[in-house]
Amino acid sequence: MSVGTVSAVQALQAALAAEDAAIFGYGVAGAHLSGSRKSAAEQYWTGHNEARDTLTAMISALGATPAAAQAFYQLPFGVHSAAGATALAAYLEDGVTRAYLGLVAVSNQHLRTFGALAMQACAERAAFWRGTTEAFPGLTPPV
Amino acid sequence: MLAASAAALPVLLATAGCRSSEVFAGPDPLAGRPSPAPDVITLQSVIGAEHAMIALYQAAVDRHLRAGDPERLLEVLLAQHRQHLAQLQARLVVPPGSAASASAAASGSPSAAASGSPSAAASGSAGAGGAVSGRVTIARLRAAEQASAAGLVRQLATMPPALAQLLASIAASDATHAVALGG
Repeated sequence: MSVGTVSAVQALQAALAAEDAAIFGYGVAGAHLSGSRKSAAEQYWTGHNEARDTLTAMISALGATPAAAQAFYQLPFGVHSAAGATALAAYLEDGVTRAYLGLVAVSNQHLRTFGALAMQACAERAAFWRGTTEAFPGLTPPV
Repeated sequence: MLAASAAALPVLLATAGCRSSEVFAGPDPLAGRPSPAPDVITLQSVIGAEHAMIALYQAAVDRHLRAGDPERLLEVLLAQHRQHLAQLQARLVVPPGSAASASAAASGSPSAAASGSPSAAASGSAGAGGAVSGRVTIARLRAAEQASAAGLVRQLATMPPALAQLLASIAASDATHAVALGG
């Protein structure tokens, strides 16, 4: 569950990488959606872009270089329909939620709060796509 | 024999002109049980608040048993709160026989109300034993979820990393509950 003593920069870089992957993935998912779901995907894509910019600034403020986004991301499964796009969007939000959970483990209190609040936004979007809530967003379900 | 020896220790130490804390390098064994650490107190408070939330949901489920769709959602959310409680309780380790352990073991722990937990306050104060006062509505549940999500985030500062992550995850779950309830 815990990420141990990961540094603030490492946790921020992980969150940035997850946001970059989500931005790429939403581009794929959006192409298979229509109506209100397409609008939601566009809105969330914009949100992830804004989050990426915020994280980039935070990493730079700590004196580190933000990791560049990859040109291409291997998707977890093929997306050929609206149902697949919806599943991908939920998958992406789960990934970003997990990444922000890493920030909650750092010692900096401001970053902990930032990560926890970001998790809530991601979990809400994941619940939207999944149609159900989860007991432990970002965590491996307890056995 | 052992008990008698332990009882005689303070007398022997006094006779020798020293306190027990001067004999032992660690915590004074005669000073009674140590106070719970801040994270333990916070965890007890969160557990109490989760008890209160469960009582609130249980009252809502009982009231809406024949109400059609809403109670299905409430049952799902109630089940997830019970999962929260189980995970929180699994992380609470207190010395057996202490006041803290008695409080933690009590169903409907009053610790949240005692500590002024925001989530317990917002939930409408389900007290010890799960009694819920006042009318339970969807709006009240939604407000309780929102207050819980915000309150848990405020309590992250003093928690060890793994426990902070659990609280943050529960806060995120509560935030999704609030949205599911129309928030």
